[in-house]
Amino acid sequence: MAQDLIPIYIYSRKYFVPEGSTIISALEFLGFKLKKGVGCKEGFCGACASLYRLKGDYKLKGGLGCQTVVQPEMQIVQIPFVPAPKAIYHIEELQPDPEIFLRYYPELYRCLSCNTCTKICPQELQVMDFVQAAVRGDFQQVADLSFDCIMCGLCSARCPAEITQFNLALLARRIYGKYLTKKSAFLEQRLKEIESGKYEEGYKELMSMSREELKERYFQREINFQIT
Amino acid sequence: MGYPDYMYESIKLVEATRPKRAEMAKEGLQKFLKPLSASEREKVLSENHPDYQPDARKPIRVGPNKGENLTSEVVDLLERPSRLPRDFRLEPVDYETDVLVIGGGGAGCQAALWAAKNGARVILSTKLRLGDANSMMSQGGMQASVNPGDSPLIHYLDAIGGGHFDNKPELLKVLTSEAPYIVKFLEELGVIWDRMPDGHYQTQSGGGGSRRRMLSCRDYTGAEIMRVLRDEVRNHPEEITVLEFLPALELIKDEEGKVAGAVLFDMETGHFFVVKAKVVVMATGGFGRIHIRGFPTTNHYGATMDGVVMAYRAGARLLHMDSVQFHPTGAIYPPQIYGFLITEKIRAMGGQPVNAKGELFVFPMEPRDVEASEYIQECKKGLGVRTPDGQYGIWLDSPMIEILNGPGTIERAFPAMLRQYKRFGIDIRVLPMLVYPTLHYQNGGVEIDEHCHTSVPNLLAAGEVSGGVHGRNRLMGNSVLDYNVFGRRAGIEAARIAQETEIKGRLSVSHVWEYEEELKREGVQAKGYSPLLLPEYRNLESLKRHRTEFDPFAPAGL
Amino acid sequence: MTRMPYYPGCTLKTKAQNYDLSTRAVFRELGIDLVELPRWNCCGAVFSLVSDDLLRQVAPITNLIRVQELQSTDSIDDPRLVVPCAMCFNVLKRAHLRVKENPEDLKKINDFLYLESQPYRGEVEIVHALELLREIFAQGIKERVKFPLSGLKVSPYYGCNLLRPKEVAIDNPENPTLLEDLVEALGAEVAFNNRRLRCCGSYQTVSEKELVADLAYDIIKGAASAGADLIITACPLCSFNLDWRQKEAQEAHPDHKFIPVIYYTELMALALGLGNDFGGEHFVDPQPLIRRFTKKEKEGI
Repeated sequence: MAQDLIPIYIYSRKYFVPEGSTIISALEFLGFKLKKGVGCKEGFCGACASLYRLKGDYKLKGGLGCQTVVQPEMQIVQIPFVPAPKAIYHIEELQPDPEIFLRYYPELYRCLSCNTCTKICPQELQVMDFVQAAVRGDFQQVADLSFDCIMCGLCSARCPAEITQFNLALLARRIYGKYLTKKSAFLEQRLKEIESGKYEEGYKELMSMSREELKERYFQREINFQIT
Repeated sequence: MGYPDYMYESIKLVEATRPKRAEMAKEGLQKFLKPLSASEREKVLSENHPDYQPDARKPIRVGPNKGENLTSEVVDLLERPSRLPRDFRLEPVDYETDVLVIGGGGAGCQAALWAAKNGARVILSTKLRLGDANSMMSQGGMQASVNPGDSPLIHYLDAIGGGHFDNKPELLKVLTSEAPYIVKFLEELGVIWDRMPDGHYQTQSGGGGSRRRMLSCRDYTGAEIMRVLRDEVRNHPEEITVLEFLPALELIKDEEGKVAGAVLFDMETGHFFVVKAKVVVMATGGFGRIHIRGFPTTNHYGATMDGVVMAYRAGARLLHMDSVQFHPTGAIYPPQIYGFLITEKIRAMGGQPVNAKGELFVFPMEPRDVEASEYIQECKKGLGVRTPDGQYGIWLDSPMIEILNGPGTIERAFPAMLRQYKRFGIDIRVLPMLVYPTLHYQNGGVEIDEHCHTSVPNLLAAGEVSGGVHGRNRLMGNSVLDYNVFGRRAGIEAARIAQETEIKGRLSVSHVWEYEEELKREGVQAKGYSPLLLPEYRNLESLKRHRTEFDPFAPAGL
Repeated sequence: MTRMPYYPGCTLKTKAQNYDLSTRAVFRELGIDLVELPRWNCCGAVFSLVSDDLLRQVAPITNLIRVQELQSTDSIDDPRLVVPCAMCFNVLKRAHLRVKENPEDLKKINDFLYLESQPYRGEVEIVHALELLREIFAQGIKERVKFPLSGLKVSPYYGCNLLRPKEVAIDNPENPTLLEDLVEALGAEVAFNNRRLRCCGSYQTVSEKELVADLAYDIIKGAASAGADLIITACPLCSFNLDWRQKEAQEAHPDHKFIPVIYYTELMALALGLGNDFGGEHFVDPQPLIRRFTKKEKEGI
């Protein structure tokens, strides 16, 4: 089934690709062997961050190469990597104190609240709001608003204050997860049980059963989706 | 954008049956749809599962598993010569270390961290970026017996049943008994598990599971864990050297036949790098990008079975490489997301598989191979929905999730899926998804023991590349668990044996040439080379255009 | 209860939570429910006062758009924005005045903020909490005082941001009386500090500790020579400088006398019976004085 070809620009050279192509599939169609700037091809890894402009629109837009469908006359470039500071820390030595941002990402406080990061985010996250939450030391809100961040780097590339939103958000999430979430009381009990060898007998039995015995045990097992 | 008009005829039927199906779900679907018995499973698998097609498998003619029937595409890839040029010299050595981890996904990062923790110097090399792996993409969850009504033994039983009873018992024991520890280890690194207000974990049921034990991080479970592991690796630059965009091409051995490192290759410059290492941990992941039986895949771009190839050439035995996991629910519309993973958690939380007439035709939570076979069968019966480019699929009724769990559930629990479809004009809170099985997981692999040893000395393996943990069919949530449990064990073991290891004599890749001799002797007419490194997606027309080996910039006088 | 939009600012949510809590408590007691803007960002502080960089005005103006958004809901009775932090107040008000007087700047900023739900219309009225207090004086604070602070000698310190530049001044910049009137209304005695309008050194405290310590020493000397037991401020930075730099002040000037520094709202809370400890980090601990004083009260001395 012949597909209509539409014009797009890559590095300002004009090409024709099938309508409905994504940026990545357009590049592959044209014979580019992609060795960088492509990853999961499903929108989870942030490897294929791209910048583009649409016809007649001065606004610079960001999107994932594997998800963004090309439009006629679209001008495209890939951004496979954004140089960004990543602080080195040992999380077990840190405290859930806003001062860790001052220590590891002090440029955070240069935030102008200009929203440029939010505008470019391909996941449509409230980036400025989680940066501001970090300014206020609200780890929970940073974690909540930045959870779906795939760390593509476009926010940091565009930020006039040169903040690295995605790395400081990762630090905030790890601090939140480690120090500020309520822990499960039962987990400790289960760990103790295992350590004490409570299940050794059971394992010995299962591991010594024949295939037929296992089959029988398996197909007769109780299915119970209650927690307790 | 959105569904084409003609599909709405079927969508309306789905909407019409929804209220009745919701009632059934509230009472418990087990009342209306019995899970299949052993013989029923056998029947639907043998008639429909791609593994059982006549030409799905063929005997491999060379190597440790010679004569066994393995998946055809796997055999094709294994029966190929190396990319290494014959005149390749292993001197000078470019890097020297204690432990070389090949692969930067979840297993690789765990191995690197634990090897470093146990005193080893580590180099982690990866084909793309650190974290570019199937680990980043898993959505639904990780299994661990963290609920009072559950136990590691029940987890064991579920997994061995799902695996067709082929799982290696000692590996399954390790997997299931170390799961709660992994939950703790990850949360101490900062992973944010979904929790209930009292702090205990939100758990879901998974296909083939008899208890709720799927922990999750919304539907970004893999990404959440991978981001944290990757960050933690980068917090140890003194102990762990990360080499990105440097895939391994072949393993290196010493004079005693122990693995002693690998040859890395820069795909941009064409340079080779020799890494000398006392122990190698193979953590290269899966094989989705070899598109077995022409299926689309959920896997990342680099999942091309490189590790199995390299290990096999080095003499490592493979286990269960005749079994391929097709995930029942891969998206098939719109075409831009063809093959994408729709997490099993959608079904765990109420999404129902429904045919073109709106009928719920199968218990939603069978083990994956059974479930996939059921969907294939339904489409064969003519009860699938056709896409504009001629694919057939069945509906996955996601709006049911909002009905059963309350409005706002999808936004909270499936932000990735909601966003995915929203990009193409489909609101999955209101419209069902169109799905069909997609190539998902390498059930088997390089055989390991419970300390991750392969049959080749000083070669360890962990994660999807390894075989034996999951038998012939992996349960949901056990792969995320696998790479954490065995990645860690591989790291600890690697550090231990590195201390006892001395590399003896000259390094060599003679095992590669011997393998090629064997191919010749068996009369194998190979097409191309392996490892594959990257799948080929360049348009055929563009490849056929006048192309040449001529390098206009070849420096003179070299 | 009169509901008014409230902008706490970053410091009141982190280091100066005592100022936030005491402000809300006091105004609630006086019949005003301060409704925190559901979404707000850092005002930009000193950076937003840079006049040749229009982008810096985006931070404060965005907050004023948030006020407009809140005003258009049913949750506000008096539309004026109440700001307790003197620095935030200064920044927000100056940003507002700048775009009100320069329609071209306003247009440019609104064009930049095209993704917002509405443009800034230039009409938000911004009041410092003390200005609001002055209005309530008229209705009588004296009557609500439960524990008159008689015998307590309090020295008000204004700092810069409430009174300079003229266009934002909440009182006579040469001779303000707001805080002194307040002290007397609460039944305490004013220890008049003739250095009460001097700058505390502001952000120099980060890089020029000794400079700020010297300034603090002079200011507090002025209060001490008037017999002050306590100094009150309306700005978290002034509070920090006058409180924490007393350490370096004492090291440089052995004759320095330690005087505790609290927010005027904490003083009011004391007098209105709303509590005498809102937390906060102090170098010079005010609690011994407060405890002595409330003990005196209890024992009727």
